[in-house]
Amino acid sequence: MNLNEAQLLQAYRKMRQIRAFEDRVHDEFATGEIPGFVHLYAGEEASAVGFCMHLNDEDRIASTHRGHGHCIAKGVEIKGMMSEIYGRRNGTCAGKGGSMHIADLEKGMMGANGIVGAGPPLICGAGLAAKFRKNGGVAIAFVGDGGSNQGTTLESLNLATVWNLPCIFVAENNGYAESTGSKWSVSCENIADRAAAFGMPGVVVDGHDFFAVYEVAGEAIKRAREGGGPTLIECKLNRYYGHFEGDAQTYRGVDEVKKVKESKDCLMLFSKRVTEQGLLTQAQLDAIDKEVAAEIEASVAHAKSSAKPTSADLMTDVYVSYP
Amino acid sequence: MRLQDPPKEVSRPIRVGILANPASGRDIRRVISKASVFPTAEKCNMIQRLMGALTVCGVDEAWMMPDKGGIATVIKRFGQTPEGKRLLPVQFTDTDIMEIPEDTRLSVRAMIAAGIRAIIVLGGDGTHRLVAEECGEIPMATLSTGTNNSFPELREATLSGLAAGLVATERLNLDDVTRREKRLLVEVNGETRGMALVDACISADMFVAAKAVWQVEQLRELYVTFASSEAIGLSSIASLVNPVGRDEDHGLGVQMDPEATQKVMAPIAPGLFAKLGIQRWDELQLGSSWAPTIDRGVIALDGEREIEFRAVDNVRLSMDRLGPRVIDVSKALGAAAKQGIMLSDSNE
Repeated sequence: MNLNEAQLLQAYRKMRQIRAFEDRVHDEFATGEIPGFVHLYAGEEASAVGFCMHLNDEDRIASTHRGHGHCIAKGVEIKGMMSEIYGRRNGTCAGKGGSMHIADLEKGMMGANGIVGAGPPLICGAGLAAKFRKNGGVAIAFVGDGGSNQGTTLESLNLATVWNLPCIFVAENNGYAESTGSKWSVSCENIADRAAAFGMPGVVVDGHDFFAVYEVAGEAIKRAREGGGPTLIECKLNRYYGHFEGDAQTYRGVDEVKKVKESKDCLMLFSKRVTEQGLLTQAQLDAIDKEVAAEIEASVAHAKSSAKPTSADLMTDVYVSYP
Repeated sequence: MRLQDPPKEVSRPIRVGILANPASGRDIRRVISKASVFPTAEKCNMIQRLMGALTVCGVDEAWMMPDKGGIATVIKRFGQTPEGKRLLPVQFTDTDIMEIPEDTRLSVRAMIAAGIRAIIVLGGDGTHRLVAEECGEIPMATLSTGTNNSFPELREATLSGLAAGLVATERLNLDDVTRREKRLLVEVNGETRGMALVDACISADMFVAAKAVWQVEQLRELYVTFASSEAIGLSSIASLVNPVGRDEDHGLGVQMDPEATQKVMAPIAPGLFAKLGIQRWDELQLGSSWAPTIDRGVIALDGEREIEFRAVDNVRLSMDRLGPRVIDVSKALGAAAKQGIMLSDSNE
């Protein structure tokens, strides 16, 4: 597996954008200006980027309540996302969805989703459409370890095999379903082990390692595009913030996140590898950090200065108008 | 039910380590080659079966690596009689599990510090390699639960547990029933960076990434300690040009070139054959060392990409017979039968 300089820079930029976006939303949420709930993806960036770098706008993904990272990785515009989270009229969904309902069909992003385990059935539909259209498209659903236990997910694994759909199910196992440890709530050591029961391959990959995710994702997506059928991939990773902003996280070890950040942070591992191998320079990475920081700053300023929906917007965007 | 006590006085408690890798058998080869999945439940069953054998031998305690809820939980929950009495007392090392290879290394060190007399390993070539790096003189029994397993044996766990139990309780002469394995060492800039028990392969790849090796276009050099004609994985390439036994005092180096006219069709993963151009092969002598012929790439140890190197790095490989001391289960059980260890005049 080889990646050229442009691809490496793209991977780093996307992961840095997600991290900076989430860190900033974490800070901004504390001010009380952001309505509703937010669930942050910081720490899990290598998973979203490792998969979405193989996709084009025709490919579909379905996300979770922790969806900001998937949106950014799939190419949804950051300014629009930030405005959406602030509930502004110029947000990705006109400020009516908020954090858990960001969707951009033009980018193939079918939506973050407040219902745990709701993504897998959606991608069965998208996968079926791609199969009928014979366009080589694939559909990916991201679920958490909690979502992996839902009947909707298990039914979708069955359906995807029965219909031999070009679908990838990505179980992002961050160890906790809200505050319940996956070791208590998941019946097996590896969520990927369940794949065998549905007649599809199941792979476990280190979700902190962009290169490992990218390679596994590439093979599964290639297999799906070629008609090989669905795959279940479990990314073992960690989230840096609580289940939601405001979560006191009393269920986690005192040093748990600190240890992960020091030993397995995906941006740190990526930077170390590419600079030690002489593939990118620290100066190139620093320049991206600077650009991304400015981009996030601008997106917040833009959101804060944008108008909120009015009562006149109440009945718009409720139904799709078919021609 | 236990065997009669060993004839000579053995200091107690007798402890045996069990190192089971919960992650083995789940890599990218499930996607690219339909490789089998080794369920955690079966690993747990194997552990309980081998614990039965250890109990019969009179082992006092098993030591295990903790994990995040799979194997350890099952052993804690089910490794006891309905009355709540444990079949075999089990201690877990205090390893802070991070789900990285270092977990295995730290756990083996802790088991050795606790005084284990033998260690039983359940995993693939990679797991056995990690244990071998740490276990020193502790005899190792091998059980295959990985994907391309050349080093560990596919064997009923009860019998491996019995052999390990007989060794740990000092009923058998260690030198008669164990084999010192060969190993390949990799040094980068004067520092030992890794060890292989079966094969070290140099590829022109850039990244370790998903670790498993299966794209053969990039492979350039292969070095093996042994190469069985029944092997699957990279060592099969060597076995098909010149098989080498575990007991032979040499290994084999194979130079590969996609343009070479001589080709070999090798089973490099379950269900996956590849045609590789073979430029030449040479015997590797114990004690010899050499450098890769390419100046940038990745070194795979026992089929897993582990070390990235570049032109400025000084990379050296070497081979010796200072690998782990592995219990030969056939020999151990044969010796036990010959010595009448399993016979008894008692009804107890």
